[in-house]
Amino acid sequence: MKRIVSLKINGKTVDDVVPDNSLLMDFLRDKQGLTGTKKGCDGGECGACTVLINGHPRLACITLTASCEDQKIETIEGQSKSGRLSALQRAFHENLGAQCGFCTPGMIMAAEALLRKTPNPDIDQIKTALGGNLCRCTGYTKIIKSVQAAAMSGARQ
Amino acid sequence: MTEALPQFTLVRPETLDDALIALQATPDAALSAGGTDLIVRLRKSLVGSDTLIDLTGIKAMNSIDPNENGLRIGAGVTLDQIEHSDLIAQTYPAVVKAAASVAGPSHRQVATLGGNLCLDTRCVYLNQSHWWRKANDFCLKYQGDTCHVAPKGNRCRAAFSGDLAPALLVHDAEVEIAGPTGFRREPLGDLYVEDGATHLTLEPGEILVAVNLPASIRTSDYEKIRVRKTVDFPLAGVAVACDTSQEPPRLWVAVTGTNSRPFLLDPPDDPMLSPADEAFFIALQKQVQKAVSPQRTTMIAPHYRRLSVAALAVRLARRIL
Amino acid sequence: MNKPAKTSLVGRPAPLVDGIEKVTGKAKFTGDLNTHDALVGRILRSPVSHGHILGIDTTHAEALDGVEAVITGKDCDKTYGVIPIAMNEYPMARDRVRYRGEPVAAVAARDAETAAKALDLIELDIEELTACYTPTESRAADAPRLHDNKPGNLEREVHHTFGSTTDGFVEADLIREETFDCAEINHAQMEPHAALAEYDAERDRLTLHSVTQVPFYVHLTLARCLDMDSSKIQVVKPFVGGGFGARTETLNFEIVTALLAHRTGGKVMMQLSREETFLTHRGRPNTQVKLKIGLAKTGKITAVDCEVLMSGGAYAGYGLVTILYAGALLQGLYDITNIKYDGYRVYTNHPPCGAMRGHGTVDVRHSFEAILDRMARDLNLDPFTVRRANLLQAPMFTSNGLMVNSYGLDECLDKVEHASDWAKRKGKLGKGHGLGMACSHYVSGAAKPVHWTGEPHAVVSMKLDFDGGITVFTGASDIGQGSSTVVALAAAEVIGIDLARIRIVANDSVVTPKDNGSYSSRVTFMVGNAAIEAARAMRAKLIDAAAELLDTDPDSVKCEGESFFVQGSSQSELGFHEVAIAALAKEGTINVKGTFTTPVEAQGGKHRGGAVGSTMGFSYAAQVVEVSVDEDTGQISVDQVWAALDCGFAINPLAVEGQIEGSVWMGMAQGLCEETNYLRGLPTHTNLTDYRFPTIEDSPPIDVQIVESIDPLGPFGAKEAGEGALSGFPPALANAVADAIGLDANFLPLTPDRVLEALIKLRRAKRRKEANT
Repeated sequence: MKRIVSLKINGKTVDDVVPDNSLLMDFLRDKQGLTGTKKGCDGGECGACTVLINGHPRLACITLTASCEDQKIETIEGQSKSGRLSALQRAFHENLGAQCGFCTPGMIMAAEALLRKTPNPDIDQIKTALGGNLCRCTGYTKIIKSVQAAAMSGARQ
Repeated sequence: MTEALPQFTLVRPETLDDALIALQATPDAALSAGGTDLIVRLRKSLVGSDTLIDLTGIKAMNSIDPNENGLRIGAGVTLDQIEHSDLIAQTYPAVVKAAASVAGPSHRQVATLGGNLCLDTRCVYLNQSHWWRKANDFCLKYQGDTCHVAPKGNRCRAAFSGDLAPALLVHDAEVEIAGPTGFRREPLGDLYVEDGATHLTLEPGEILVAVNLPASIRTSDYEKIRVRKTVDFPLAGVAVACDTSQEPPRLWVAVTGTNSRPFLLDPPDDPMLSPADEAFFIALQKQVQKAVSPQRTTMIAPHYRRLSVAALAVRLARRIL
Repeated sequence: MNKPAKTSLVGRPAPLVDGIEKVTGKAKFTGDLNTHDALVGRILRSPVSHGHILGIDTTHAEALDGVEAVITGKDCDKTYGVIPIAMNEYPMARDRVRYRGEPVAAVAARDAETAAKALDLIELDIEELTACYTPTESRAADAPRLHDNKPGNLEREVHHTFGSTTDGFVEADLIREETFDCAEINHAQMEPHAALAEYDAERDRLTLHSVTQVPFYVHLTLARCLDMDSSKIQVVKPFVGGGFGARTETLNFEIVTALLAHRTGGKVMMQLSREETFLTHRGRPNTQVKLKIGLAKTGKITAVDCEVLMSGGAYAGYGLVTILYAGALLQGLYDITNIKYDGYRVYTNHPPCGAMRGHGTVDVRHSFEAILDRMARDLNLDPFTVRRANLLQAPMFTSNGLMVNSYGLDECLDKVEHASDWAKRKGKLGKGHGLGMACSHYVSGAAKPVHWTGEPHAVVSMKLDFDGGITVFTGASDIGQGSSTVVALAAAEVIGIDLARIRIVANDSVVTPKDNGSYSSRVTFMVGNAAIEAARAMRAKLIDAAAELLDTDPDSVKCEGESFFVQGSSQSELGFHEVAIAALAKEGTINVKGTFTTPVEAQGGKHRGGAVGSTMGFSYAAQVVEVSVDEDTGQISVDQVWAALDCGFAINPLAVEGQIEGSVWMGMAQGLCEETNYLRGLPTHTNLTDYRFPTIEDSPPIDVQIVESIDPLGPFGAKEAGEGALSGFPPALANAVADAIGLDANFLPLTPDRVLEALIKLRRAKRRKEANT
């Protein structure tokens, strides 16, 4: 079956006809061209596709598009404003929180959800929030540092 | 996209009645809540149904309500809600700990209590791609006729690996089930049978709608064995509760991950043993080792799961006694 | 070359030049390329471990609406393989299949659903043969032969002796021999495999975008397998989501995608699932190490006798290099005169193994450092003392002909010993807690490439044009390690300009110079040196122009911070644009290039296989690991790591730190929990839930210290930084576990079940011993 689904993606309303078996990940990547959301596994294993739905971190690869009717979706592409990096993006860039960059969009989105709820997280809170996001390059040390740096820069603002 | 989900129709009822009607209309429909396990199984062609009934729109299933008898938790309450519920944490600490230990935080945002209790059993011969299972002649649980774990046996040995069940079992939880003929309640333990292929006792047309927890003065705890500190399913998990107001204190122990169902096991009942004694813990350890029957459903040896879950049970008992 | 006295860019932390794309989601990885007009490619894989293909019926699949092509092994009769003398693999199996998951056919269809249906409609007729899953099975007298020309299923054996081990063991005060079993592991890079191929039938031109670390090798293989003139082929490497060696050889799906595009005369996108990515394998083989070491009372190594058996999987791949590395890199870390090595690489009916970070060395280094620790204990010596008793004196050549020009291991040892407060804490952390240490090293690029053409090892070209921009063209594959950033930094530093003036163009065979690829940690050393040479050439052109403008001799002109001036003169400075315009006026667009060629003396010993392991410079590392062990459950928690690495000179200290952290962590992953598993050839680890590499919650803080020994041949003195620290972790972990609970573990990984089982055995043995006394 197909249905018309209305979603808000990075602040823009999107109405589209989608089949019931459409995954949000494929919808974002193939239909919306938002390829920042990465496909790293065969379903729910790695966190590379983490997006925010109504402000909460969610895995687009195990989310049905049809179940997102009227929901607010935020992807990595919605992070920067007027072409300038968000605090988290800048922190990941400057602190080498991204090496190959494949886990990075999911990592940043999961961290974004954390910082909105907990603007000054301690290391344990960061580890818990990013517990489902796998990275193979960094050993996570610079990812933690990046989140801390973003929190610091947020505190300064 | 180079991989397509199988075709199915998604039904999104807003009330329990509508859900029951939809289920009557398509009795083989798969019930979907958070989808954290179901969608993965769909992607691996492990779901035989072409209708999905999404229960997340049913508001009546989504709340945590204290009542005169204790607490009622809707089956649609997410693990994230449970993890952060002071109400549950105060009285049923094992439940909060079990919820917080499931998968990763993004899973817990949508994974539900009902979904975790009705989680399908898992096995290394089952949770594989279609190509893999076909190359292995499928298995007794799905599309095949041999259980590769115990080829001479006549049942499926897939292991239940929900974390919430043991934590709820040690608090005497009851489940509330809606069906075509109305509601029924039963002890949570009765929801399960020791058969990996059909481990739930839900009848056709029935939906698990809530869990009721009686008022409790028990302290409780939950821990699980896994290789990594997060994400992993439990290789084995154990919940322990204790009522120290009784003399001698009374202990409840429940396990998951070791059998096709979670279950409460009998603590040592030798009246000569006081829970404070070392002999009690040795007896408890033996009791747990004897009660569980892990199989080769994971690549981690059954023997290890048996030993480690018993060791954990003793550790938790020591901690809360 | 020596470290410059004053640098403005190199030696300072710099974010990656391609980092912004990564944090914004704009970075296009292969699977992100626009594919609206592409067909979907899918591969049908063998369901059996070993068999004769009797027939493949594709008629039903071909008849399905929406199917554009169905191909099988019949469509390509060319073998491929990264080692020219060991190409024994077909892109799709012909006649024989040798592992479950080996490609046997492929389809291109209009969409994913049709492609999946088409795969189901292909009928395979395979006669199953007996399979060998372990080296023991493969080496049995009655074992079936996987490859007709390889009796005993022995892919390659190596026998090397240097000095006299007989004499060496006679000299020894203590001899210890042990056997280790290290599980097969996989790279599990975050990005699953993908390739996009487009064939222009009118012009007979093929373009392939792929996830590769070695676009040049892919290019050559495509020409061979598609029987095309290599000038008709273009290979582009987009952003790559990690490699770790998984992509250091051409992989079957790359050729299959190209074949499908060729057949359809169109564009085909092939995205492998995570399971298929694992099935393609090329990881570190299961390695059994039998190692005997002789020590003098002082801790000095008198002799080493090492036998290595690798379970290589179904095809040759990099196999012979792996088994040679394992022996060669027993040396180069410590001073060892008497050494014997016997290596055996055996075929099995599993996915082929290949190169993985620390190629060939990790399991042997693990065994070596673990025994060394136990022998230190036997001799009542501190583990640091034993290492210090065996240091090299650079410059020197090892007994197997490896050149060592710079050596910072002593400083690495000092740093981690001090940082971890070793002297005060070792052995004193209480039951269940322990400290362990180990050393390691790795090559900075193989001195001889596998495709020996006589060409320079690296070429970088550079263009200055009317806009005042300098474009640097490199074929070096940035796979996240920051190689483009190193090239940019080196260029800007040498010319004396701002980093922002440099643009990097990388990895498009039509545009960029050939590069062998990103493997064996060769890029910083080789491409870095080539970039320096190119930049010098560019700088010379600019200086000449500036000298003319300043009416002086070029030798007296300096360029710093984009200003050209005469040192010590009061003459006004010239800006970059002014000088650039003058330089361009002389000859128009300026193109220069730089190359790097390995010096002959770095190319290893004269013995057969002597080139493997040879390099211009080794990185050196020491690390200390602190653990807590739960004796009831066997679970190990790594609490803290202190690591020091001698990378010669840190061109970009930020990236060097990142590489050290990443390699230490990857060593931890292998040490703690990574392993592949098979049930009669069916892999059970092919997802990121069952292939358990550590999560952020399992990962400790890593204290990193950089040691700079300034290598005489390295670019600015630099050597490699991304592999050297890896192989020290597993033994440091095992040594820490021994310190914590008295268990000498001879296996990897140290998973809870293995640790508990070993503990139970140990307790039993202790009880027996007590009962007997």
